[in-house]
Amino acid sequence: MSIYRKRLFDEMVSLGLASLGIIMVISLFMGAVITIQTAANIDSAFIPSYTIGFTTRQSTILEFSPTIMALILAGKVGSNIASEIGLMRVTEQIDALEIMGVNSSSFLILPKIIASVIINPFLVIISMFVSIGGGYMIAMFTDIVSVSDYVYGIQLDFRPYHVVYALSKAAVFAFIFTSVPAYQGYFAAGSALEVGKASTRGVVQSSIIILVANYLITQLFLI
Amino acid sequence: MIEVVGLNKSFGDKHVLKDISAVFETGKTSLIIGASGSGKSTLARCLVGLITPESGRMLYDGRDFLELSNKEKKELRTEIGFLFQGSALFDFMTVEENIRFPLDMLTNLTKKEKQMRVDEVLERVEMPTSHKLFPSELSGGMKKRVGIARAISPQPKYLFCDEPNSGLDPQTSIVIDNLIHEITVEYNITTLVISHDMNSVMEIGEYILFIHKGDKWWEGDNQKILKTDNEELLSFVNASGFLTNKKADL
Ligand SMILES: Nc1ncnc2c1ncn2[C@@H]1O[C@H](COP(=O)(O)OP(=O)(O)OP(=O)(O)O)[C@@H](O)[C@H]1O
Ligand SMILES: [Mg+2]
Repeated sequence: MSIYRKRLFDEMVSLGLASLGIIMVISLFMGAVITIQTAANIDSAFIPSYTIGFTTRQSTILEFSPTIMALILAGKVGSNIASEIGLMRVTEQIDALEIMGVNSSSFLILPKIIASVIINPFLVIISMFVSIGGGYMIAMFTDIVSVSDYVYGIQLDFRPYHVVYALSKAAVFAFIFTSVPAYQGYFAAGSALEVGKASTRGVVQSSIIILVANYLITQLFLI
Repeated sequence: MIEVVGLNKSFGDKHVLKDISAVFETGKTSLIIGASGSGKSTLARCLVGLITPESGRMLYDGRDFLELSNKEKKELRTEIGFLFQGSALFDFMTVEENIRFPLDMLTNLTKKEKQMRVDEVLERVEMPTSHKLFPSELSGGMKKRVGIARAISPQPKYLFCDEPNSGLDPQTSIVIDNLIHEITVEYNITTLVISHDMNSVMEIGEYILFIHKGDKWWEGDNQKILKTDNEELLSFVNASGFLTNKKADL
């Protein structure tokens, strides 16, 4: 059993740590751009400028961090999983596992899914902080919005339920962008060419399923 | 002993194995030879249950593989070692971990016993210092040897080797052939070797099964093969240049 635990741990490290950099870079720019765009769209004197901070926080938490990160990871992690497992299929490594009496799908795929479902909410939390931090930097280094207004805005009317909603999405999306590409890779047949195709299919399908799931979850949780 | 009775396997409408019957005896090295695409690997894959034949029986010392319950199959699997044609080493594990893996999965050895086993088999395939390397750092022939080490490490009762010495230099080939033969005799196991190599055939072929386009075309031993008048077998043997070399020696 310890061999399965080791697999899970390895996958958590490789799926989590390996994506941290890209998540942080994208989130930083994302938060900065949301702040600038919100500011650019509010030029009425009747709308207080702390709205900019408020809007940055809300769109980050509700949508950008969980969904955009899931789409990015569907591309990065999804293609990686599909090609890794597909290659194991065509080089007979999966057959080798079966011969040793190992259930190859639960040995190879399950740790990836579990690791990602556990790790992805944490990545999304980090993304939220960094994104809101990106907005903060705009407040600090430009005169689009003052730091005090921005900080007031990001604290305004905070509802923990929104975070719960966002992290539930993160977990569901993680399940999608690991299981769909893994399935495609696992049933890839034949050659390296097929592995490439399986990887593309995995990314495209998981992206679409994520968007549909996003709609459904939002309909269920927020209305 | 593995007995194969009337095995048939098709992929789509392509009949790859046609009514194959053979007996592979314990303590003997049996060779399956034949041209590329004749169905050798398919036969081995059927035998270990990676693909299911349409009809036929496979008896492992009397145990009919296709009739076994899942639990019994799993038990039988612990007695099978398999070297794949492309080695099939696990990319994400080192050489040492690759060899230890079937021990973890199939045996109850202690950590120390496993380590001893790993060292011993690596020694036997003449790679005593490669423990920490990853498969990507090995040459094709080294992968083959690690594949063999992994197949023999749990001390299987039935050993399958799909082209154990393709990609090896002639000297290492002989070492590997002899190793397979030694293990077969030493542990009194049933060994099936798929091969293209006439040198191996002559060296270790105590029973030879020649497959031609999915048919069992000829069977015999390495003495009889030189006297055969079977046309396809002769052209297979001649193509390897083996007979001409031998005659030049005489
Ligand atoms: N999974 C599969 N699907 C469809 N056809 C297959 C499959 N596996 C093998 N075949 C076909 O079965 C035939 C026999 O293949 P097999 O791999 O058994 O040949 P082989 O004798 O091992 O050849 P080689 O010496 O080149 O390894 C080939 O014509 C191959 O195209
Ligand atoms: Mg083959």
